[in-house]
Amino acid sequence: MGLKRALTFKAASLVVVLLFVLLLTTIIIGATGISDKILNGMVRDNLRAIRQELAREIRNPEDLERALEKIKEDLIRSYGLDKPWYVRMPDMIWRIVTLDLGNSRTVVSFSGSNKISDIILERLPNTVLLMITVLIINFALSLVIGVRVATKPGSFLDRLISMYSAVSYALPTWWLGILMILVFAFYLKIFPFGGMYSTPPPVDPLIRSLDLVWHLCLPVLTLVIATSGSWIYITRSIVITTAQEDFVSIARAKGLSERIVLWRYIIRPAAPPILTNLILSLAAYLGGAILTETIFSWPGMGLLYFEAIMSVDEALILALTYMYTLIYVIARFVLEVLYVIVDPRVRYEWASILKKV
Amino acid sequence: MGKYFKEGLSEFWASKTSKIGLAFLSIIIIISMYTLFTFPLDYGTRYWNNPKYWADNPKIAMPEWINFFVGNKFLEHKVLSTSTVQKIYPFGAYYIKTYEVVYDLMVDQFPTFITLKFDNVTFFSRPPTIEVLVIRPDNSTINLCRSVVEPPLPTEEPPYSRYVVEPKRIMLSGEPQLSLVLSNFLLDKYNLSIDPKDVAEIGYEKVIFGEPYENGFKPLKGRYVFTTVLYARDARDQIGTVSIVIGGQVYGFMGTDILGRDLSQGLLFGFPVALLIGVVVSVLTTMIGATLGIVSGYIGGRADEIIQRVCDVMNNIPQLPILIFLTFIFGGKLWIIVVILVLFGWPSLVIVVRSMVLQARSSSFIEAAISIGASRWRIMIRHIFPQVAPYILAQMIFFTPSAILAEAALSFLGLGDPSIPTWGQILEYGFRNGAVFLGYWWWVLPPGLMIVFSAITFVFIALGFEPVINPRLRRWR
Repeated sequence: MGLKRALTFKAASLVVVLLFVLLLTTIIIGATGISDKILNGMVRDNLRAIRQELAREIRNPEDLERALEKIKEDLIRSYGLDKPWYVRMPDMIWRIVTLDLGNSRTVVSFSGSNKISDIILERLPNTVLLMITVLIINFALSLVIGVRVATKPGSFLDRLISMYSAVSYALPTWWLGILMILVFAFYLKIFPFGGMYSTPPPVDPLIRSLDLVWHLCLPVLTLVIATSGSWIYITRSIVITTAQEDFVSIARAKGLSERIVLWRYIIRPAAPPILTNLILSLAAYLGGAILTETIFSWPGMGLLYFEAIMSVDEALILALTYMYTLIYVIARFVLEVLYVIVDPRVRYEWASILKKV
Repeated sequence: MGKYFKEGLSEFWASKTSKIGLAFLSIIIIISMYTLFTFPLDYGTRYWNNPKYWADNPKIAMPEWINFFVGNKFLEHKVLSTSTVQKIYPFGAYYIKTYEVVYDLMVDQFPTFITLKFDNVTFFSRPPTIEVLVIRPDNSTINLCRSVVEPPLPTEEPPYSRYVVEPKRIMLSGEPQLSLVLSNFLLDKYNLSIDPKDVAEIGYEKVIFGEPYENGFKPLKGRYVFTTVLYARDARDQIGTVSIVIGGQVYGFMGTDILGRDLSQGLLFGFPVALLIGVVVSVLTTMIGATLGIVSGYIGGRADEIIQRVCDVMNNIPQLPILIFLTFIFGGKLWIIVVILVLFGWPSLVIVVRSMVLQARSSSFIEAAISIGASRWRIMIRHIFPQVAPYILAQMIFFTPSAILAEAALSFLGLGDPSIPTWGQILEYGFRNGAVFLGYWWWVLPPGLMIVFSAITFVFIALGFEPVINPRLRRWR
């Protein structure tokens, strides 16, 4: 039973984070008058659509203007523009959550719609695809290399990895991306400069997916090089600490094979702290992904940020900030679930904390 | 305490990384000092963002030292100026004054453009006429341009001054009548008939500095003498300075960008800015974080509860999206970016400091201090703080690179402070102008290397600190 309660507790705390971000953003856009700007834009868009319809029915221009004026007043009331911003706050939060923020200024979705919700939902899968690919590769690398290095601390490879992780901490992911483009796309011409598919995109599904993989290579490679160093290093440190525990020596004394000792007695108990560090590095990683998309014109939400800044589109930036927080919160939750599955101790720990509360 | 401190210091000195880190740091500080003393503080608005200031520079030129590796293949940028009058003699109703500059074309390349500049022309009666002609290595002469100085206004009194604030600039490529002159020149000299329209197509520089070769032109190496002739009505009339700008393919120590800005200056100015951001943000962040951490850990109770909850929430916010949002809304002034970075930086420190304080609290000498009736604040400042101080210092150093990187990332997204050149901004401008896709490496590599260099400096120092804080690590070396 402890498991369920522990997870509920975690979920609740993450929802608080999401709510905090929503409150913070709505207070800021409310107090700076940007929310009025966004809602006024929505009123304008609505009126434009209504005007065309009414113009067919009402022939007299004066009557048309009067009817429109009345509709405009109704719209202003329904959007709450006649009330101060703090009264509108719950409504505004709900709008952000449902991405009901009207139309973007200049950015258009691939299908030509300029509704913000359409644009963002269209790009979401691309961002998730890029991030998940990198996460899986990083995880595999940190397990394989990290454990290997941990068995021989102080070796040349070990020192190299330590150096590499120190350097990668100081290496901006996006600048690494620029380097990659210069080397692999401009000078060597092995990989494309960016984008998701060649232009025009191949029609045949097999070739199309190969084309996608070919375009994925550079952004994925960039993110992996920039972030895997710290992952491998963290895994190494934790495995080294675990390997010095008494139960490992006892397992060896029992005459268990080195393989079993490694996997069952070292890696299994080391998994939860490794996951914790994964959770902690997720936020930094998200930031790297935003800029990497910009560099490689990968049509995800990160590139959309750049486009929104360029076209000074407050509503779009607001929606993106919320979406990224949401992605982050969901990813955190998934990792927490994994953590609980991997580490039976957590269940009891949480259960005891909850009893106190 | 003193003994512990000494031990820690020697430990810090013993590691190689901290030595490298400190060496790098002194380089950064020296460069920052040099820049602050030699550049005006409003350099960004006055020079960097003022395209007129860079008008004579070649656009997108490589650094000069590239010639060292490819064997003087590329033409260096040259500005030839003179203020001395070469000859002066009367000529009918006129007085003629000539000014000469000499240009030696040594490499097999054409100049990319030619600009003539006249500063500070003074005349006393009727406006003089200025002519510029060039004598080529093969002793043929080309008249490049003829320009009449603007006549005096009714309200003006002699002597009349012209081109004092802003020099008169004549870009030869923008002079349509030159095509006719060059077309005639080719016909006279080489018996080559080329339509004036096509001369402009070929490029004036190729005709002026070259000779026909197969189906095109090849550079004519040797000495070119540019003579500027002033036809004056008064013997006292004169030109202050005559300059001939010969556009090159390489410029300065770091090359130029698309506006002709000298990248080495922008890169230099980036040093103090990065140092300022890194240090200010990390110091402020650590002060807030450490104070709240000590309070939270030592006082406990309601204060502890509130601080911990706030930290939990703040720590779980993805940083960059919020930073983008806030800088976008509040504008990208440098101090605003600093405030935002501090606001979202401190919570991670609080949690760690708190756990250290909880450990320190249970030690016996704290109990002793309490028993003799020392006040809470006294204990916190006198006994708790010294115990966590080395750790706080290390965290402060470790925070610096992340602040530098965050500012660079925001600048790269176009949210930086436009009035101050930073490395992130140079990269952003380069990226937006396709520098990455056209292979302008000198525009995108150095700024990134500077960012890495300054960030890694603090990483090294922080690594050197690790054994000081964590004595168990000492055995590992």
